[in-house]
Amino acid sequence: MRLISGRHPFAIAAMGVALVFLYLPILVLVLNSFNASRYGSTWEGWTIDWYARLFSSRSQDIWDALSRSLIVATMASAVSMVLGTLAAWVLHRYRTRLQQAHFGLIYLPIVAPDILMGISLAIFFVTLGVERNLMAITVAHITFCISYVTLAVLARLQDFDGSFVDAARDLGASRFQTIVRVVVPLLLPGIMAGGLLAFTLSIDDFVITFFVKGVGSDTLPLKIYGMTKHTKEMPVINALSTLLLTFTFASVWWVQRLTGNRART
Amino acid sequence: MSNPSPKYSPHRFNRSEWIRTIPSFGWLAFFFAIPTLLILVMSFKSANPYGGFGEGWSLQAWRDMGNPSYPAVTWRTVWLSVVATVICVGMALPVGFLLGKSLPKTRATLLLLIIVPFWTNFLIRVYAWKVLLHPEGYLRQALLSLHLIDERTLLLNHEWAVLLVMVYSYLPFAILPIYAAAEKFDFALLDAARDLGASAIRSFWQIFVPGVQRGLFAALVMVLIPALGSYIIPDLVGGAASEMLGNKIAARLFVDRNWPHAAAVSVLLMAVTLFPVLFAFAQQKKESRPESPRPESAKKGAAPA
Amino acid sequence: MKHLTRLSLVLLSALVLSSCGEQKPVLYIFGWDDYFNPDLLERFEEENGCRIQLDIFDSNEAMLAKLKAGATGYDILMPSSYMVKILEREGMIRELDHGKIPNLKNIDPVYLSETAFDKTMRVSVPYMCSPTGIGYVEGKVTDPKPSWTLLETPELKGRITLLNDSRETIGAALKALGYSLNTLNDAEIASARDLVIRWKQNIAKFESDQYNAGIASGEFLICHGYSGDLFQAQELNDKVVIVIPEEGTSIACDDLVIPTAAPSPDLAHAFINFLCEAEVAAANTEYIYYLAPNSAAYELLSDKIKNESAIFIDPVVRGKSEMIDDLGPEGNAKYNVAWDLIKAAAIN
Repeated sequence: MRLISGRHPFAIAAMGVALVFLYLPILVLVLNSFNASRYGSTWEGWTIDWYARLFSSRSQDIWDALSRSLIVATMASAVSMVLGTLAAWVLHRYRTRLQQAHFGLIYLPIVAPDILMGISLAIFFVTLGVERNLMAITVAHITFCISYVTLAVLARLQDFDGSFVDAARDLGASRFQTIVRVVVPLLLPGIMAGGLLAFTLSIDDFVITFFVKGVGSDTLPLKIYGMTKHTKEMPVINALSTLLLTFTFASVWWVQRLTGNRART
Repeated sequence: MSNPSPKYSPHRFNRSEWIRTIPSFGWLAFFFAIPTLLILVMSFKSANPYGGFGEGWSLQAWRDMGNPSYPAVTWRTVWLSVVATVICVGMALPVGFLLGKSLPKTRATLLLLIIVPFWTNFLIRVYAWKVLLHPEGYLRQALLSLHLIDERTLLLNHEWAVLLVMVYSYLPFAILPIYAAAEKFDFALLDAARDLGASAIRSFWQIFVPGVQRGLFAALVMVLIPALGSYIIPDLVGGAASEMLGNKIAARLFVDRNWPHAAAVSVLLMAVTLFPVLFAFAQQKKESRPESPRPESAKKGAAPA
Repeated sequence: MKHLTRLSLVLLSALVLSSCGEQKPVLYIFGWDDYFNPDLLERFEEENGCRIQLDIFDSNEAMLAKLKAGATGYDILMPSSYMVKILEREGMIRELDHGKIPNLKNIDPVYLSETAFDKTMRVSVPYMCSPTGIGYVEGKVTDPKPSWTLLETPELKGRITLLNDSRETIGAALKALGYSLNTLNDAEIASARDLVIRWKQNIAKFESDQYNAGIASGEFLICHGYSGDLFQAQELNDKVVIVIPEEGTSIACDDLVIPTAAPSPDLAHAFINFLCEAEVAAANTEYIYYLAPNSAAYELLSDKIKNESAIFIDPVVRGKSEMIDDLGPEGNAKYNVAWDLIKAAAIN
């Protein structure tokens, strides 16, 4: 079966070890969503009870938290897609000192530890006296998402063929038309990739959200953290995670099939 | 390949450039740069005895940094992060190598397999490790029955658990940049080396690794810096003797409610991360110089999908 | 992406629509999480034709910070007793009109004379009291004594936790040594600090939130914790035993107060009166496993609760127990310094 060119037993072994290592906790969480034991360190029999509880009214607050996470992630990735694409475009186009500073500012959030961003925004919001609600959380998320979108679009811009733009202008397109109908579609894979990355990071963010939030209105990661404090049922979260995992896996597979089919024609 | 030609005009004020730069620059300046500077400033404020910032300014927060625990915690933060980075990169090199050599279809599948676990919530994965390493759990019982450990050894709530979960959490951040560089690596060079008589190991270390050095450096940075700022991992799976700087910051902020002091510890963390950050910047600058024929970017892979 | 946007728009509109409510008077409460039997809240709402809006804080200091930042719309606050003193000093709470709270006669006079700070209930009415205790897993501890010495079990090294609270943990050591846990005596604090460092040699971690999940799952075998939390763990793992150390412990009490700027003071008084009803207090006690110091309620409690020594503390032990008091900036600083040294101490 030709999967890899050449024979590399050591590398294959390393890959095997890495994959087992990566999936061990995933296996644990999926199994525990069916484990009758509340704590999951030992097996106490099969049950779909946790899934039932997930869909009962007792878990309403989990779904509320999930919807808040989705709302924040959607808004954050939308805004950061716009700001990030614009940033990537201008970084690519101009090579001035301003852009050097601009690039530094874009690059820093990626290399700064979460906890520093979290505490700096917390102190900032407190000093300004701003209410630390979902809007504040969204602002924080946009701040760390912009950089990822920018880099994703920049990567795409490296292979960007500017002659399309020239051609469009020559044919009489206005600036606006050129942007909307030539540049954006060409950049779209990069923008979408960046947006997807931003969305994923926002949904999963715990540390920054934890520092920035005020009382009430928890997002899903915060809700999960809070649940453990109250000995509430963790396996319900395992059930939710298993479902989300299956959902994302299925959608990615489905998208692959679609784009795969398109490439063939 | 032509671009709308980059404007090489370092000194000319270009209005359209400024207008397009302002949105992202302005946002990040206001919500990132200013707050970061604010931490430094606020560390000089006095603390309100009931929590938060008080009136006026004081050096008390910095005097409190003389607390004997900080050198130990800082040292622990650094060495745990460095070891985790070395292990991650060590694992990522052969994995990136294999990805680079795989046929496209295999490569896509393998990449997907590597990324998918990271679509589950981070906290959940750490809790799954707590379950795996639980004192009454199967792993420990198995190790006990095989006499590999004794009754007093615990798998959880100490530094080694923190190290393990750190490696687990940051591994993809090492794999992706190395893979990105491996993808552009010319594997024919390795074949040439083998033909000339070099052993597999030698050609790996002396040809492949230098060949992907941009990815390697990116991986080092991508793992080391977040590792230095770890907070959740030592909080959940660490013990009383595994505190890292992140824990200290969180403790000062939420438990002691001493905000100026939390700010001071944050400045300490910033100082610790400064060296890898400067290194990362130097690397980036080297790569994005306009004269270089193929501006390669060994940044984190663009998308999980 | 599109589907997610649509889904979130639907969810967003659902959330918005559901928040348009009816126009009944609202009682705004600012309190701890999970601190009322929800059925009782519903009953109050029905009996008084109102709605209850409950906001949560997770520490007294967080509550104070929010109030100082200008949150004025609350009718009822639930601070711990030491915080009541601070609120009164700041002029943020009002004197209670005892005429509107006839059920005050039910409050336990022994509690008021022995433990309470506000003995005449001038500005506050006690709601729930909880002692700090030790939980351990039956069968894993040889020769368990109801004493702070349990925390020093070297055979269970790595399976013990202490509270991550300077006053509670240093206080426990002070009590173990026979001192007051509100002492300002440097020598006493120093010896308590050294005792905690000795205890630290055997602990897994300092933990104030997740020890009840930990002891219920068997990750920890001895936990220094709040009795209410430990009872919740006992519900999940019946091998958990809770003891109150015989040397005395800290008792935390949360009180009900009415802010000076309360929008609905009459409704607030009615709520306090409701909570002081014998059967309401008993129902809350059964639900939370803390003790409402309400003598009329004591007879109504189930035998299980009445016989539980961690709820109805032995009077001798209670005599030796104290409430943690606010010691002012210099006093607090002494404990903070000791605590920092404890955190810095190495584990061998």
